[in-house]
Amino acid sequence: MATISAAAKEIIEKRGLKEKDVIGVVDGCGDDKIYNKESKLFIAKKEIGELTVYAVFNEAGEVQTAYSHKMKILDIVLEGETDSGWVYCKNNQPLKNGHTNLTYMGATRSGPSLTEPVSGESWFEEYLSVGALTAAEGLFQQKRA
Amino acid sequence: MSEKIGETNALCPECMRTIKAEKIVENDDVYITKTCPEHGTWKVKIWSGAKHYKYLYEFSATPKVLEKFAMPTINGCPNDCGLCERHMQHSCLNVVEVTNHCNLNCPICFATANECGYNFHPDIETIRDMFQTVVNYVNSPRVVQISGGEPTVRDDLPEIVKMAKEMGIEHIEINTNAVRISNDIDYLKKLKESGVDDFYMQFDGVDDKIYSKTRGIPLFKIKENAIKNCSEVGIGVTLVVTVSPDINLYHVGDIIRYAASKVPTVKGVHFQPISYFGRYPAEPQDKNRITLPDLAREIEKQTNGMLKVDNFIPTSCSNVHCDMKSLSIVLPDRSLFPLTTMALGPPSKTDNVADKTRTEVSQFWRFIENTMDGKHENETDDGSWKTFVNRAKTHYLTVSAMAFQDVWTGETERWERCCIHTVTLDGKLVPFCLFNLTSTDGTTLYRKRTFCR
Repeated sequence: MATISAAAKEIIEKRGLKEKDVIGVVDGCGDDKIYNKESKLFIAKKEIGELTVYAVFNEAGEVQTAYSHKMKILDIVLEGETDSGWVYCKNNQPLKNGHTNLTYMGATRSGPSLTEPVSGESWFEEYLSVGALTAAEGLFQQKRA
Repeated sequence: MSEKIGETNALCPECMRTIKAEKIVENDDVYITKTCPEHGTWKVKIWSGAKHYKYLYEFSATPKVLEKFAMPTINGCPNDCGLCERHMQHSCLNVVEVTNHCNLNCPICFATANECGYNFHPDIETIRDMFQTVVNYVNSPRVVQISGGEPTVRDDLPEIVKMAKEMGIEHIEINTNAVRISNDIDYLKKLKESGVDDFYMQFDGVDDKIYSKTRGIPLFKIKENAIKNCSEVGIGVTLVVTVSPDINLYHVGDIIRYAASKVPTVKGVHFQPISYFGRYPAEPQDKNRITLPDLAREIEKQTNGMLKVDNFIPTSCSNVHCDMKSLSIVLPDRSLFPLTTMALGPPSKTDNVADKTRTEVSQFWRFIENTMDGKHENETDDGSWKTFVNRAKTHYLTVSAMAFQDVWTGETERWERCCIHTVTLDGKLVPFCLFNLTSTDGTTLYRKRTFCR
C-alpha cells in the first residue's frame, strides 16, 4: 500500500484533497501511470467525482505531492515534438510536450500537457494545475456563487 | 386571453395617489394594470416572456434590511420613504447630489437639471451631512455615486471627494456628462488625487446624430477625449447609456464593441432603458419603451451572438426584475468571452447579496493602475487557459442594464427591494426611482420636497 510523505500530507490538506483518494490513485493505477527516469518519479491520475486527482510518487510508492483540477480533459490539440522525459508505463511510449483541451462550465480552451498520442492520453503537471487551471476554475465559480 | 400573475400597489400617473395594481400576462407579455377612481385606467407593458419573468423569482436574494430605519411605516410604500421599517433591502449604492446646475441642457434629463424651479448647490458642510447619513445607515464597504446636475461644475469637487473618503466612504464614483473632464485634464488629475475611483459617464452612442437627439449637441468627440484623459490619468470608466427605441436601440451592439476596444480603461457598459420622469418630450406608449428581455435580445442580435440573452443574470440585489448583468473577458481580438449564464441556475448564496454587490462594485470596477501601460494590448490569444486567466485580471467588461421605474411602470414590489438610494438633506435614504419619479404634470414625490427648502 502506498504511503504519504509528511510534506505531501501538508500539501494534500492545504489543497482540500483526501489522503484516502490520493492513496487510491496510487494503489489502483497499475501500469496506468507515467515514469520519469531522471527524477525516478511516477505520476498517476484518476477521476474522482468532479475532480481529476493526480499523485506524484517515488519507486517505493511514497507520495511526494498531489494535486487536482475540475476541468475535464478532452482531446490532444497538439501532439508536440519535444521529448518530455516521461514514458507511459502501459505501452512504453515516450510522452511529448504538447497541448490538450480542457473544458469547464461550457468553456473549452487548451493547456500545455504531457501527451501520448498512441493512446490519446494526456497528463497535466502540477504547476499548471495549481496555477492557471485553478485560477480559471475559481473565476467561473465566483460568478456562479 | 389574460392571466393574472400578481398584485401590487402602484401610483396614479395623474394625482400620484397609491392605487391597487395587477400584473397580468397577455400574449406572453407581462403588463401592469391599474385604475384610479378619478383619472382612469392604465395598462403598461413591463416584461416580455412570462415564463422568464416567473422563473426570475428563484433568483431573489434573502432580504437583508438596514439595522436602523429613519421612518416608521405609517401609510405604506411608497409614502413613508426614508427608508421605512418595511423596506426589504439595504443600500449597495448611495447617490449624493451635490448640485442641480449643469453645463448641458439635455432634452431628456431625469434630474430636470437647470430648470426645475429651484436652485440646489449646497455648501460643503451640507454635503458633509449627506455623507454622514450614508455612514450612519450603511455598513462598510460604502459606495457613493456623486451626482447632480453635473457634479463637475463644482470647482470644489476634489475637496468633497477627499472629505467623503476621510469620513469612511470607501468607493466614490462620479456621475458625469464628461464635458469638463474632457476639456480640463488638470481638474481630472485633481479628482484622481482626491480619491475618485471611477466615472459613471453618460454615453449614448458612437454617432453624433444620437447625441443631437438625446443631449441637444454633438458630444462624441468630447466623450472620446474624456476616455483618453481617464486612461492617461488612470481612472476607470463605466459607459452609461440611456436606451430609447426611438433613438439609439439600433446602436447597442456598436456601443458594446466600442467599449470592448477601450478596455481596460472602460470597465463596463450600463444600459438604462428610457424611463419617463423628469424631462421628456411626451407621455409614453409601450412602443416608446424597451423592456430588459427585449434589450437583451437586441444585444444578442447586434453582437451576432457574442453576448447572448442567456448571459444576462439578475444581480439579485435589487428586485430581480430591476436589472440584469453580464461579465465577459475581452479577448485580444476584442471579442467577448462571457462568464455569466442563466444556465447555471439561481445563485447558491442569496443571503447578504447587498454586501457582496457593494464589495464587487468596489473591487471589480476599481481601475487597476498597473494595467494601464497597455502591455497586454499586443498579446495574441493562443487559446490557452493561461492567457485567458492573465487577461481576465484586467481585460473584462461588464454589460449590465437597469430598468428604472417611472410613474407608469412603478410598483411596490420593486420599490421595497430597491438597493440604490438617494440621500436627502434631512438625513434619509430614498429609492432612486421614487426620488426622481414625477407625475404627468411634473409633480415629484420626494425630489422637490427634499431640495426645495
